[in-house]
Amino acid sequence: MEDDYSSIWSYRLKWLYTLLVVVTLMLPVFYVMYISFNENGFGARDYEFTLEWYGLIFSDLLMLDALRDTLFLSFLTTIIVLPMGIISAKLYKTTSHPMVVVSLMLSPLFVPSDILGSALLVFFKNLNIAFNALGKLIGVSWFDTWFDLGYMSAIIGLIIYTLPYVFIVILITMGRYREQQTEAARSCGATAWQAFKDIEFPQIRTGVFSSCAFAVILTFNEYTRTSLLKGGFDTFSTVLVSQMLNEGMSEQSYAMSSLVSYIAIIVIGTIILFTLVRRERLERELKAKAEPIMAR
Amino acid sequence: MSSEGEIAVEVRSLSKAYGSVFALNALDMKIKAGEYFVLLGPSGGGKTTLLRLVGGFIRPTLGNVFLHGKDVTNLPPNLRPTSMVFQSFALFPHMTVTKNVSYGLRLRKRPEDEILDRVQSMLKITGLQGLGDRMPHELSGGQQQRVQLARSLVLETKILLLDEPLAALDARLRKEMCIELKRLQEKVGITFVHVTHNQEEAMTVADNLAIISDGRLVESGSTIDLYESPGRRFTAEFIGENNIFDGEVKSINGEDVQVDLGYGIVSVFRRDKDVLVGDRVSISIRSELIKILDNSRALEPPIEELGAVYRQTVYLGLISSGILSLANGGEVVIRDISNNIGFKEVIAGTKLRVGWSRGDGRLHTN
Repeated sequence: MEDDYSSIWSYRLKWLYTLLVVVTLMLPVFYVMYISFNENGFGARDYEFTLEWYGLIFSDLLMLDALRDTLFLSFLTTIIVLPMGIISAKLYKTTSHPMVVVSLMLSPLFVPSDILGSALLVFFKNLNIAFNALGKLIGVSWFDTWFDLGYMSAIIGLIIYTLPYVFIVILITMGRYREQQTEAARSCGATAWQAFKDIEFPQIRTGVFSSCAFAVILTFNEYTRTSLLKGGFDTFSTVLVSQMLNEGMSEQSYAMSSLVSYIAIIVIGTIILFTLVRRERLERELKAKAEPIMAR
Repeated sequence: MSSEGEIAVEVRSLSKAYGSVFALNALDMKIKAGEYFVLLGPSGGGKTTLLRLVGGFIRPTLGNVFLHGKDVTNLPPNLRPTSMVFQSFALFPHMTVTKNVSYGLRLRKRPEDEILDRVQSMLKITGLQGLGDRMPHELSGGQQQRVQLARSLVLETKILLLDEPLAALDARLRKEMCIELKRLQEKVGITFVHVTHNQEEAMTVADNLAIISDGRLVESGSTIDLYESPGRRFTAEFIGENNIFDGEVKSINGEDVQVDLGYGIVSVFRRDKDVLVGDRVSISIRSELIKILDNSRALEPPIEELGAVYRQTVYLGLISSGILSLANGGEVVIRDISNNIGFKEVIAGTKLRVGWSRGDGRLHTN
């Protein structure tokens, strides 16, 4: 409730509206989950519950390979983009030009995904030509495949895509952290790394894990840039989209999609719950602190 | 314990610039080992900048910092023989009191039983016995500051830096903590360098003071010297309740300098000041040394006098102040113990004369 004089119905209506928006957004996901248990597949009149399609997930080698590659990409992207996000967030807090840092870090968000993907495609192709020519010039073949489209080009595209989100999430979490604690640690004899590891990281851990989850989910969902930059392998989203466009999705695809959704909902739901519980605990602690303490 | 006379902290031509603005400008200062030294001055004057330069948290633009004779200008905080207590509580909120206090010792990889012993001993010294398992948010403001102190003192560094450590405490607690800090410093015997803008806090704890303003060292000395015999006008304005009279030197006769205030002529002893006839100067006299002459409170001759009109009495408990107007519209404030004041029954609007012993006036050329 905003204040004692605002209407309780206004408050309830706002909650109802929010829930309706969430349900509307999630309805397609729930529908896919519903279909994934139907023995007769998508569009069938009759519905017969089955777990058969989930059992067949592991026989769809194309899908499994795509899932494996997607997990690999998301893992590598996360471990590369996480320290970049942390360092950029720390730079933002210490520099005298924070708006420059923010502008640079968020700039990929303002470029449409297909344009960014196309630009990177041209960039890598030109790099490939240049390095191949260099290799021919000096008589070596080392550089021949360096900038071929493949895992590296896909990961670079994913890093550019996910970095702004990781930066923002970590920055928001760092907003609560007081730099004086780092200075206090330094005055106790800690190096900069020790102060970060022992004092700062435990307090921004939630944000770091949230940004990891964000990076993984964004990587899973990413289609446009990855389809342009991936080269010869497939990712989860490219397989799904190509199936939808060409032959229609297989029943295993619905099952696989639902499985990924379950995992995403569990991960995000856990983070949200954990954050809510932690916030409630912190509020209780702050309230206890605000109450008069008699004994010194 | 350091040897007597040893210099713990020395800064030479120390400057810190932010763009074209100098937060600290070519400052030279020495602090003896084992003393409680206070950096006092108005907010934004450069005291905290100086402290942070000594601690290694910022790098100087020019100049050097020496700690116990060693040039530490380029060393980070963790490699200096200093530890610091911060203004707002810089306790580690995810660690208990014991873990907070033992953090530095763990970094030094001391044996566990030694850490336990030293931490328990320090908790006892700082009055935190029994609170080892508490989290910082479960402590009062005073207790949190004690934890910071314990965390710094347990490391047995040679110099403790305190950056307005009592600013966030209420007045009563601040007074108690002042005495506590002084007691601790005398007990452990290390050098304390304490920054504050609070005069009373400074006078309570300091062995010696430095007044810092506009990035420069105005004056330094013992608390008694700076209070009773301020050399600079700024010091007289900042410490104690001084009346300042501005005027022009009319004549000089040996040690006696006659100053024309415009509404009266008074004399002051020159002491070590170089002045010439015609120089603009100021005279400061502590408010408790000025008396209403008509009340015939005895003053040691020679006596200087000015005419004034009584305006009001301000009762402040132990002390009462009397406020009078001068002929030029300025004010003069006199103070005395409330039970003792000679101006208790003076009516507002009464014309009278105020006076002081010539020796109580201080001449300032700037």
